Amino acid sequence: MAPKKKEEPKPAAAPKPPEPEPPKEPEFNPAEVKLEFTAEQIEDFKDAFQLFDRTPTNEMKITYAQCGDLIRALGQNPTNAEVMHVLGKPKAEDMNVKMLDFDQFLPMHQHICKAKDRGTFEDFVEGLRVFDKEGNGTVMGAELRHVLATLGEKMKEDEVEQLMAGQEDANGCINYEAFVKHIMAG
Amino acid sequence: MGCGVTKNSEFNRKFDKDGNAIPAAITMKAAVLIQRWYRQYAARMEMRRRYTWNIFQSMEYADLQDQIKLYNFLGYLMDNFTPSSSERNLISHIFRDNEVCRDAEWERYFNYTNIDVPEIYSGPRLTFPLDMDQAADLVEAFKNKQQLHSRYVLQLLLETWKLLRVLPNINRVSTCHSKEITICGDLHGQLEDLLLIFYKNGMPSLEKPYVFNGDYVDRGKDSIEILLILFAFLLVFPGDVYLNRGNHEDHIINLRYGFTKEVLNKYKLHGKRILKLLQKIFSWLPLVTVIDQRVLIVHGGISDTTDLALIARIDRHRYVSALRPPKRKTPSRTNVYADSERYDEMIICKNRRGSLTFPKPFGARESFQRRSLQDFSSTVARTLEEEFEVRRRQAEFSMSRFSKSHRSLSSTLSSDSEPESSELIDTGNDEWKQILDLLWSDPMPQDGCIPNEVRGGGCYWGPDVTEDFLNRHNLQLIIRSHECKQDGYEFCHNRKVLTLFSASNYYEVGSNRGAFVRLGPDLVPYFFPYQATSMTRGLSFPQNVKRTEHTALKVLREQLFVHKSDLLRAFQEIDKENTGLICLNDWASAIERVLHLDLPWRVLHPQLVSSTTEGKLDYQGWFRDLALKKPSSEHIEQTMLETLYRHRSTLETIFRIVDTDNSGLITFEDFRQTLKLLSAYLKKEISDEVINELVISTDTNNDGSIDIDEFMEAFRLVDKSRLKRGKSLLKLMQDNESLPQVTETPQIVYSTAPQTSHCPASQPADPPASNTTDSACLQTANTPASQTADSPGSLTEGCPASQMEDLCHITVVVVPPQ
Repeated sequence: MAPKKKEEPKPAAAPKPPEPEPPKEPEFNPAEVKLEFTAEQIEDFKDAFQLFDRTPTNEMKITYAQCGDLIRALGQNPTNAEVMHVLGKPKAEDMNVKMLDFDQFLPMHQHICKAKDRGTFEDFVEGLRVFDKEGNGTVMGAELRHVLATLGEKMKEDEVEQLMAGQEDANGCINYEAFVKHIMAG
Repeated sequence: MGCGVTKNSEFNRKFDKDGNAIPAAITMKAAVLIQRWYRQYAARMEMRRRYTWNIFQSMEYADLQDQIKLYNFLGYLMDNFTPSSSERNLISHIFRDNEVCRDAEWERYFNYTNIDVPEIYSGPRLTFPLDMDQAADLVEAFKNKQQLHSRYVLQLLLETWKLLRVLPNINRVSTCHSKEITICGDLHGQLEDLLLIFYKNGMPSLEKPYVFNGDYVDRGKDSIEILLILFAFLLVFPGDVYLNRGNHEDHIINLRYGFTKEVLNKYKLHGKRILKLLQKIFSWLPLVTVIDQRVLIVHGGISDTTDLALIARIDRHRYVSALRPPKRKTPSRTNVYADSERYDEMIICKNRRGSLTFPKPFGARESFQRRSLQDFSSTVARTLEEEFEVRRRQAEFSMSRFSKSHRSLSSTLSSDSEPESSELIDTGNDEWKQILDLLWSDPMPQDGCIPNEVRGGGCYWGPDVTEDFLNRHNLQLIIRSHECKQDGYEFCHNRKVLTLFSASNYYEVGSNRGAFVRLGPDLVPYFFPYQATSMTRGLSFPQNVKRTEHTALKVLREQLFVHKSDLLRAFQEIDKENTGLICLNDWASAIERVLHLDLPWRVLHPQLVSSTTEGKLDYQGWFRDLALKKPSSEHIEQTMLETLYRHRSTLETIFRIVDTDNSGLITFEDFRQTLKLLSAYLKKEISDEVINELVISTDTNNDGSIDIDEFMEAFRLVDKSRLKRGKSLLKLMQDNESLPQVTETPQIVYSTAPQTSHCPASQPADPPASNTTDSACLQTANTPASQTADSPGSLTEGCPASQMEDLCHITVVVVPPQ
């Protein structure tokens, strides 16, 4: 006779500190964004927008995938997450298909421009200093490559290459202040 | 957050200098920060790359347009000046049709057997029939900067001509026996790229068939060498090498874009004959190639009227230049004319006017042609009656000289309502349009088919036209060239059209890659991009972008500068209160109105304008900032010089047209006439005083003639630093006692002559790597004493002073001109 399976109360789950739920970000609502750009700035944006416009008849439309590039080309540096947010969290397959026009673009751009945590030169240097083991102003190129390719919003290998091209010295070290200047100067 | 997956593992733990573990969160934040900045950097780089590309492309097309306009203008002159006017005589020869090929006569003209090859010549000595080894040796010789002796050039070209005459208009190739076919696009005189292709892919052979898709010449500096190599392989492997004609295989285009100049410089004695023979060869090049009856390879593209059956039947050699309408086939034409030349001209005039007045199926394109001519004169829009009147007058003029037997012919000239004659015109024009479309068209994203106004010939065709064409002819893919692409190739029209471009670094060092394609029996294209790296060695992508951008901006600044008067006028019209200031928007729109380049001026403005106050720009100050040293003459007014400088390409082209014997020299009188022509073309007054002043101030050889190259030398914008260096070289040469007097104008001088090329600016600011200077410095004794003006101008820029002295010694070698 099979012993009746006693319904054992499941062992109480080990008290795990509940993972802090990522703050539920409200969906991006373009209508709520107040545009504070000057007319001059808008003209500038239009010019740049046209440069990215690859539609046959110059319809002043760009793909979702290009939106992030355009915002960055205009001087902002949002994370990919932030870009996805203003785009309304599109699906991966939509990125190259869905288009937005200039009027849809403006509130997105405005939102990014207003974002607080923009990152200055010092922040950037601080970020790199994290990897400065010896505290001597240099980071190991190899380590930086590894970090950039495996952590955060991962970069692809060729992107890492492009970034680091010519930056490492003979010992494979990078002087990060110079590095930061290089990136920011373009 | 974000797209990254974070592993909170030991592996990713970081430690600070005291060995304390850094919380993963901070590491993460740091990583994201760096990544954000990188992405911004990359985006900005991409934007710069794009506008740089736009700059080069607009300028290239603007220049091409100019050439077409010039050509149309000259055609207009032909039609509308009285037969005996001197201007007309100057240019009539380019409209003279190719005489019907009386081969024996021509072969006598191209006879090479009396050309001796001196003992000291160490280049290849060809024996015919050629074999594979000789072809390989030829490649090797050119790689080592040797030059083939004119005797062998003529011989090789003659053999090529004979072979091409028996080839059909449509090459048919098959991939049977699992042969992979290699296809190459535009080469434009860039020998390095051809060598790179051969290096990567192997040379043509029985196992390795090749198709070359036109535009072998112009712009680059080794056009003749490329032709010789391709022709050599064609002769050795006639069943495995296929050449298509490109729009640059056309002597009229060559006048402007550098090939004519290159040949005349490299072959001073026999260049003229070589060019004439090449004219014939170009007209005999096949028009398209078809692989396995499935893939069409053509240089430009198609139109909605392209019909392969019709193309197969054309006498392609009648179309010596795709820009010239055909000679009409006249039934009673015999050889007994007293003045056949004048008759030819009349026929041609008639054809051209025919295209103006008769309602044609081409509609839009014809009206475009007509419009361009109308630019030049209001009288072009004649009524039909006036047309007939003019023609009758001309017919009478000729009639008085011809015998009665031709009266019937003359009468057909004056009564064009005869269906037969118009039919003949129609056929002629139909065929002409077919060829023009094949060689000049470009694809566009929208459906439809419209005249290609940017280039001035051919059309823009859309995906629907592609679909229709492929279906009608049972094809699956069109491979074409004609347009430069960033990666060397690009698909469009649903991957049914492939653009293939094989000249890397076309606009500038680092601007783009080239590519070749291999097709096997499965007809799936495999791409092989490359970049000739002698000058890009060690440059990363961002460095390439920067370098290219630098050149593009320099070119653009130059354009702005030479349009100063027009721009100033435009600004002053806006700035009515004469404040000297103008807002950015107005600045941008004024520039676009004057230059018509369709560029993003606002995006570019930080690069072009050093400062603005309160969003306004001080335009006078801006011009001062842009200022480059101009060629100056006390007596010639600045705006005139500016005008002449701006149109120097056109001026040079007219010179070369006027220089009927291709000697590089024209008489004073012809020079005067040239300037008058230019004046009419530009609709700008060039007064007699100015012309006289120019004549006098040009440093002539004191023999009553003006050297074209030398004259054009005067018209370069030189920036101060280069001028200083140039002066020092000249001084060096003058001081160097052991330098014997060179009677010919020394052409290896401070001139970094702007190539009549896509990039109006001269060499990039950074001297190229030492490779080029080495090769230039070590020219072998085979080359003529004076080096070509087109040789890497970096001779002066790259060479340190000591080398310059060596240079002086080397150039002294006197070799009998070839």
